[in-house]
Amino acid sequence: MVEGAELVPMLGMGIAAVMARRGADMTHLAALLGISAMPVARALKAGSGEIIIGTGPEMWLVISPDAAPDWGESLAERLAGVASVSDQSGGYALYSLRGAKARQLLQKGAFIDLHPDAFGRGSAATTVIAHAGVILWQTEEEAPAFELALFRSFQASLEHWFTVALAAMAAAD
Amino acid sequence: MSRLSQGGLIDRSSPLSFSFDGKTYSGYAGDTLASALLANGVKLVGRSFKYHRPRGILTAGSEEPSALVTLRTGARAEPNIRATTTELYDGLSAISQNRWPSLSFDLMSINQLAAPLLAAGFYYKTFMWPAKLWEKLYEPVIRRAAGLGALSMQPDPDSYDQNHAFCDLLVIGAGPAGLAAALTAARSGIRVILAEEDRLVGGRLMSGTQTINGERAGEWTARIFAELRDMPNVKMLARTSIFGAYDGHIYGAIERVADHLPEPAPGQPRQCLWKIAARRALLATGAIERPLTFGSNDRPGVMMAGAVSTYLHRYAVAPGTHALVYTASDSGWETAAHLLSAGVDLAAVVDTRDTLPAASAALARAGVEILANARVLDAKGKALRRVVVRNAQGRTRTFDADLLAMSGGWSPAIGLGSNLGARPVWSEEIQAFVPGKMPPGMIAIGAAAGRFSLREALEDGVKSVDSITDELGVGGRASETFIADEEDVAATPLWAPSEGKTKAFVDFQHDVTDRDVALAAREGFVSVEHMKRYTTLGMATDQGKLGQLTANALLAQATDRAIPNVGTILSRPPYVPVAIGAFAGHHRGDHFRPERHTASHQWAIGQGATFADAGLWKRAQWFSRPGERDWLETVTREVKATRSGVGICDVSTLGKIDVHGPDAAKLLDRLYVNMFSTLPVGKARYGLMLREDGFVFDDGTTTRFAEDYFFMTTTTANAARVMQHIDYARQVLWPDLDVQATSVTEQWATYAVAGPQSRAVLQKMLPDIDLSNEAFPYMAACKFTWRGLPARLYRLSFSGELAYEVSVPAHQGEALLRELFAAGGEFDITPYGTEALGVMRIEKGHPAGNELSGQTTAFDLGMGRLLSRKKDFIGRVMANREALLDPARPQLVGIRPVDIGQRIGAGAHLINAGAAPVAANDQGNVSSVAYSPSEASWIGLALLRNGPERHGERLFAYDPVRGRNTEVQVCNPVFVDPEGVRVRG
Repeated sequence: MVEGAELVPMLGMGIAAVMARRGADMTHLAALLGISAMPVARALKAGSGEIIIGTGPEMWLVISPDAAPDWGESLAERLAGVASVSDQSGGYALYSLRGAKARQLLQKGAFIDLHPDAFGRGSAATTVIAHAGVILWQTEEEAPAFELALFRSFQASLEHWFTVALAAMAAAD
Repeated sequence: MSRLSQGGLIDRSSPLSFSFDGKTYSGYAGDTLASALLANGVKLVGRSFKYHRPRGILTAGSEEPSALVTLRTGARAEPNIRATTTELYDGLSAISQNRWPSLSFDLMSINQLAAPLLAAGFYYKTFMWPAKLWEKLYEPVIRRAAGLGALSMQPDPDSYDQNHAFCDLLVIGAGPAGLAAALTAARSGIRVILAEEDRLVGGRLMSGTQTINGERAGEWTARIFAELRDMPNVKMLARTSIFGAYDGHIYGAIERVADHLPEPAPGQPRQCLWKIAARRALLATGAIERPLTFGSNDRPGVMMAGAVSTYLHRYAVAPGTHALVYTASDSGWETAAHLLSAGVDLAAVVDTRDTLPAASAALARAGVEILANARVLDAKGKALRRVVVRNAQGRTRTFDADLLAMSGGWSPAIGLGSNLGARPVWSEEIQAFVPGKMPPGMIAIGAAAGRFSLREALEDGVKSVDSITDELGVGGRASETFIADEEDVAATPLWAPSEGKTKAFVDFQHDVTDRDVALAAREGFVSVEHMKRYTTLGMATDQGKLGQLTANALLAQATDRAIPNVGTILSRPPYVPVAIGAFAGHHRGDHFRPERHTASHQWAIGQGATFADAGLWKRAQWFSRPGERDWLETVTREVKATRSGVGICDVSTLGKIDVHGPDAAKLLDRLYVNMFSTLPVGKARYGLMLREDGFVFDDGTTTRFAEDYFFMTTTTANAARVMQHIDYARQVLWPDLDVQATSVTEQWATYAVAGPQSRAVLQKMLPDIDLSNEAFPYMAACKFTWRGLPARLYRLSFSGELAYEVSVPAHQGEALLRELFAAGGEFDITPYGTEALGVMRIEKGHPAGNELSGQTTAFDLGMGRLLSRKKDFIGRVMANREALLDPARPQLVGIRPVDIGQRIGAGAHLINAGAAPVAANDQGNVSSVAYSPSEASWIGLALLRNGPERHGERLFAYDPVRGRNTEVQVCNPVFVDPEGVRVRG
């Protein structure tokens, strides 16, 4: 594990915003996504490798590793009649934030409680870092590893914040 | 030198060199600038705000009103820094303020001679007339004469960090109460943050000789500090002031990360602004000693008694050689004992009270002269030399003294406790205001709660945590009790004006005297808030921490009321001054706010684009080419190239919203004035939205891609607002509709390809799609696949030319753009920016931001016919209000100058020929203006009364801002291709 923290862009992933149709059967929706129940403020990994992140009431972000270009359309077909799907594969930039100080650095940016008791493995939240909205979740892996999604136009600003916040944290040690 | 030979929490093995007003001195690590100056016998450190009176060091803490200096030099110079909280470092450089030419000889001190003119409110009375001189003459002169330090006017070279923290319990202050509370809480297992403004914990324990559970206070403090420091559930923030309590149990804190260093280490922030969310907070901020009111109580050498004890014990400095103690409280006697044991010659202890505390006996035995029921009348000397005292018998005595330690009693430091409108209440017992109803989640303990003895402070620390853990249902109960000796803490404040001959100050930093308070009362400013504003008492950077209660009491006396009936002020953040840079943090300069970049931002930079801000977006405004004289030449070229050949413009910033669901069409019918349920799949339609009040909200095109899926676009400026509007409609107005909406603004990079050659370019690039007018007519739309990716093509036009918009997922936007340019190379395809886009829309009479101003209706914009009569929609009822249908309302027209070479400016007002250019004759205003290459003239869009009926009429565009009055002719707002032949070509 890196000593401080590093922010690594995750490329080539399929991303889609999913909203349940009115009165949709949540169990059915979960089954279509290969999970037991739809997550609320949690990030769940399905057997397929797809990650389903609860982002709001009956709203989710679904992320697929190594997605084909038409993954968004195929997901829409898979969930047809149960949920509405908007392909966001180009809309969000995804980052992985890892390292011994990842949590400490994220806490400088996000005003949500990231203590392991409050935001443990699989926790997810929508929040703001450096004046930009982000969807933040902790993976279910062993080491504390965070991932976040933000609208792609904010990438340069977020990366700038990361650089200066990391430098300030390093100088404080 | 007045450094004691032993003692103090200073490191005598680390001598430090520093300078004050250019003269070099030495001190030790552990000193403050104030203690080091006192150790060097420097008493005069500044001149006062208004009267330029000599001032010294009054306190030993952050409440200091007098010892304010400019610290550091060059760009790092910072004015009004309290010497009492400035940690000494090697090479420290400070200069005194508010004096000219020198500190000891200040010409402005003649203000004292003019003192009768400078009483409270003088500037309201003296500089009233002529009023026009106020801004230009009086105010600058007064400000220069009365200002404290000056800013460097250079950019701040330091950086500021920001951080967040969460805890069950925030303990504000690490004195005995705070330490006892933090330890109890920490041992119970809850999450604790202990914030202390000082570099050391211990608070008052550093200024005395107390014992706790039989252990010396210093050792007790060190033991508890060590235990807390090693506990994983405790965060210790030293050099950190909590400066405000905010809604939602949130506290603001400023951590002085590097202020104790000559300059921050590379990359190290100077300060860090914390936002702390705490379920509960303990206000353990202690108490602040009150000055006594007597003549020249501001002389250097007059000091708070508690501060004298601090300098003796913590810094091993005797602030004088011949001392006199003047007290209304038992704690003053404690200082007298401290002075005596430090070997300072004690001339007398003067107590305002009849009954003296038990501690007086020991002093009497030591041969100290004691005067009960006596008053100090005046202090004498530029720095204190003599003290004039009236004894109980009414006789006047004069004592030689270079140090006067005064104690008027203690006021709980409840500034934070009266944030959020929490009003303090009067305690008859301690004769001070104590916290009443506090900010939610906050509890005061120890001296901050008016419980002044060490025993009470420790008891509060433990008990308060027990009740908090019970209430929150977290953690275990305390196991330890802390016992201290009993001590005398009585005080009988002397709420009376000075009986001396010279000025007696209540607010030292703002030079407000007891007589100013009386004057305020005479002039009718009898509310404590009015008195505050009239006299400016409590409005300096120290926020009246020392003088407020005395002033309230004097006001009560002058108006024959009891103090609780006068009341006191509330406080609001910040409790201590906070550098504005800390609030900005890393968001400064170009990074003040985030920037949004479109997919082809880097490409545009490579093309020499000049960018314009559109909200947070950076949009290419134009693409200059070598040899072009100015932007107008560039924009004119871009328009001509597009209208005669083909141009390409990044329109990705337009808001884009997916509207899904079986009821999507129904929702759109209600959002837009015109019908969308009739729109066939594969077609786009222009839509206009109103606000509920009937005025135009936004417009854009919406495309139907499936029975249950529409793709909406909005203006760039309103993208977020329209999304909110839709969510409101879905969630609040019509939760019964089965419709879902998602912002996909960021998903699609979209490029407008416009001009007579646009079809040729796209057909070359997309040979598999039939782009003929028959197969893909105006307002057609389709999905297609580009390099395996989902892509979309629309036949839309904002320019009025044959035009298309092409979209691909944004991460491939630049690749698409490059391919479009490759395909368009043989057609001399030209990139154009938002300025050319604007010119072409004005030439076509399309309303945009300037016309969608929130004050225009659909009728005003010539779109009244769009309002469907077959359905209901948001804004329908209010849009039909009589006044909004008045044909005399300003409505959209075009204008052009009668003399073709003349310019017109947006914002100009339209006036009838021959009418005076006054508001009563206003006929409307010019909303948008452009130089039209197609018309070879400046043209404009305007909102004109009865506009549509006045085509051909001549008016004047009166533009006082630019000094123009141009004769214009009213015309059709559509200047280019009014029949719309080209878009359908």
